[in-house]
Amino acid sequence: MRKIALALALTLLLSITLLPARAQLPDFIQHTDCEVDLTGETITIYHFGDISGSFAFITQPLLAGLADAIAFYNANGGICGATIATDNRDTGGDPAQTQAHYDYYSTLDPKPDVMVLYASADAELLRTQVEEDQIPVIISAGSVEGLYGEDGRTPGWIYATNPLYGDQIGSFCDFVAADPMDMYADEPVIGYISWPGAFGQAAFTPETIAYCAEQGVTILETPEIFLPTDTDISGQVLNLTDAGANILYTNTLASGPFLVAKTVVDLGLEDDVRLAGVNWALDTSVGLLSRTSIGSDGLPAVNGIVGSLPFQWWSEVNQPGVQFITEQADANARELPTRNIAYILGFTLVDFYTELYIQTVNRVGSLDAVDGAAIKETMDNIDYSPLGMYNISFAGGELRAVTENRIAMMGFANADMSGLATSGDDALKIPRDDGTNIYVPVLVPLTDFAPAPDLRPGGE
Amino acid sequence: MTALTNFYTGYKRELRWLLIVGGLVLALLLLQPLLVDKKVSRMMMTTVTGLLVGGVYALIALGIVIINKASGVFNFAHGLMMLFGAMLFYSFFSVAQVNPLAAGALVLATALMVLTMGGRDSLRNPRNLALAAVAVVVLTALLSVQISGFQLIRAVIGGLVGAVLIGLCVERFAIRPLIGQPLFASVLMTLAVSEIMLGLTQMTWGSVEIPLQIFAGLNSLGIPTPIRFEDVIDGNITIRTELVITFILALVAFGAFVAFFRYTSVGLAMRATAENQELARSVGLRVRFILAIAWGIAALLAMVGGVLQGGATSLSLNMPALALRAFPAVLLGGLESIGGALVGGLIIGLVQEWANFLFPGTQAGTELAPYVVLMLVLVVRPDGLFGEKRIERI
Repeated sequence: MRKIALALALTLLLSITLLPARAQLPDFIQHTDCEVDLTGETITIYHFGDISGSFAFITQPLLAGLADAIAFYNANGGICGATIATDNRDTGGDPAQTQAHYDYYSTLDPKPDVMVLYASADAELLRTQVEEDQIPVIISAGSVEGLYGEDGRTPGWIYATNPLYGDQIGSFCDFVAADPMDMYADEPVIGYISWPGAFGQAAFTPETIAYCAEQGVTILETPEIFLPTDTDISGQVLNLTDAGANILYTNTLASGPFLVAKTVVDLGLEDDVRLAGVNWALDTSVGLLSRTSIGSDGLPAVNGIVGSLPFQWWSEVNQPGVQFITEQADANARELPTRNIAYILGFTLVDFYTELYIQTVNRVGSLDAVDGAAIKETMDNIDYSPLGMYNISFAGGELRAVTENRIAMMGFANADMSGLATSGDDALKIPRDDGTNIYVPVLVPLTDFAPAPDLRPGGE
Repeated sequence: MTALTNFYTGYKRELRWLLIVGGLVLALLLLQPLLVDKKVSRMMMTTVTGLLVGGVYALIALGIVIINKASGVFNFAHGLMMLFGAMLFYSFFSVAQVNPLAAGALVLATALMVLTMGGRDSLRNPRNLALAAVAVVVLTALLSVQISGFQLIRAVIGGLVGAVLIGLCVERFAIRPLIGQPLFASVLMTLAVSEIMLGLTQMTWGSVEIPLQIFAGLNSLGIPTPIRFEDVIDGNITIRTELVITFILALVAFGAFVAFFRYTSVGLAMRATAENQELARSVGLRVRFILAIAWGIAALLAMVGGVLQGGATSLSLNMPALALRAFPAVLLGGLESIGGALVGGLIIGLVQEWANFLFPGTQAGTELAPYVVLMLVLVVRPDGLFGEKRIERI
């Protein structure tokens, strides 16, 4: 009897030690089952982006999201037992640094199976090179040229997890045309005001202008451009309103939408123009920055800005993924500014990486056999929803950006957190040590998820 | 041919001015069609805003000019000094209470640096030590006091103390060791200082943009934000109060520094030091002391510029790029000219706003017009509008 008990104990011990490690993740995370044990291996997320320049507001919380997610996944089995690591490098927004970092990564032996980028300009710079080196790249959102080349129809090796910027403004024009909330003028005219460069100008194309015109929404043919360092942009805003704009659309982030909104308030144009923007414009950072400029309603200037929200948001508390990410942010004592769009993307990126590698390793048989081509094949065919926050599918390899999008509006929480504040009087104000208040930004979806129009050159 | 040459030689100055005036008239004639359908109120607003934005450039340019005037060094770290100083200001502004030990350490370090500007001999002077001790106690007490509504004053004091410390540290540990070396080495050193300050800023305050709510209390003081003039000729004129405040501060700073350079021995000594540090030292001028003062003043100006810009927009790592945009103002006015920095800043601001107004949908205002004007001015006056003409003997 004693021998049998000993044998059973040994068998149990061996089975625990030798069986492929299985993640103890929450039930709602449904990864493909691991068929290969990767215990003892390391899978690195190679990420290089603008950590110290204009995009720092994205990359800093993104790094926090990556770090928290990696710690959690590693503590719960990693990727089929493999430890997840990161290698982050800062470009400072300098294309020369982007190239230098890419040269470093692409000459590693073995070279990365997949990499993560941010800036649209970086994607455009490296599009041809990653194709030649056969390294797939994951980017949050990109320009047509970066993802599909100059003809807009040639899928490359860069995949975006947000809809194309051009498609996003197309979604917005659909919303304006339908105008379910009776927010817009009878003859809506969009004035495009943005930063220069690949990102800022990505949504202003002949295709987006034509598509919106078909929906009855005019986009002024003369866009206005400003720099992140500009002290005053009242001239640019007035140029657009003088030309008839009653909607200002911006493809900027952080201080960009804030500066546009502040200028509208300062010029007393709140009743004359509506604000709108790209998915990055609807972010915690924009809401928090805006507390320095209060509108006539007593709320921060960006109150009421409308734009794309192609994923679940922090305020959608019934969604298990949102609950899970919130728990993780709480556990890691992440403050309000970090709980933004980028933290969600960083966290879900690790979950997506996990699924991506599981599927690829299952197919090719071992981690050693995984290379860029194998990852690309998985990317082309994957249909997965990281933490249920958004759906990633590239239509069998035909597309390079996800298409599901929805429109949302930024407001500010009311005092009892039951809804949106209607004025400064009923707003939730968190007092700060400097005597000022923080208003808590809330995003309210105005539409359901739906495919955004394909506004690549030649698209419909 | 000789007659022509003689005529040119005799009327060279007049011909040059004729050329300038003719060019301006031609430019106005060319631009006239662009003004046809423009509102007069927009033109007025564009002019006022241009001048006010120019005040921001002028304030930044002034800091760069002061360093150049004292040492001949073009300071590429000025933008980071703006950001770093503004971040220090924010640190004192955003907390309910400052740790007295931290405040004391900051003030003590600054006092020591000030005491030793001209050398360590000052430490042996009991009067200097007593004065420094009093200053340390008073400033530490002021920085540590917890009174509601006192944050802004505390932040101003903390920002000033911190900015002086930054300026003196840069001078002491980065620039002073290069006295007597080619100027190019010092210029390169400012680039290195810039990178170090960027790293320190990121490590201390992170990279996320920070709102700086210094203008929030203006309304409660009865000052309108913004300032609006309704129905002026054919429309409204709106002027941002933050820009007006910046402009006024810039004018005050200019008045103070013009007086400083014209009427004080230290100001005159700075000009002599800029000409030739070795020669200045040989005639008994305290070059180290003078350089330290210049860097301290420049850091103060940088901090003020950074705080005002941060209040008008936000504190972000983009701010140093604004200093780059002030470079044309510096070159336009003349590298050594205090008044030139003001005029250069105002011209660049005006040109920028008018170019945005006349050429909507282009980057003419920020990327083209200031540099075209700079180029044209430098062709006519290579040393800038008010720069000192240098004669090199061969």
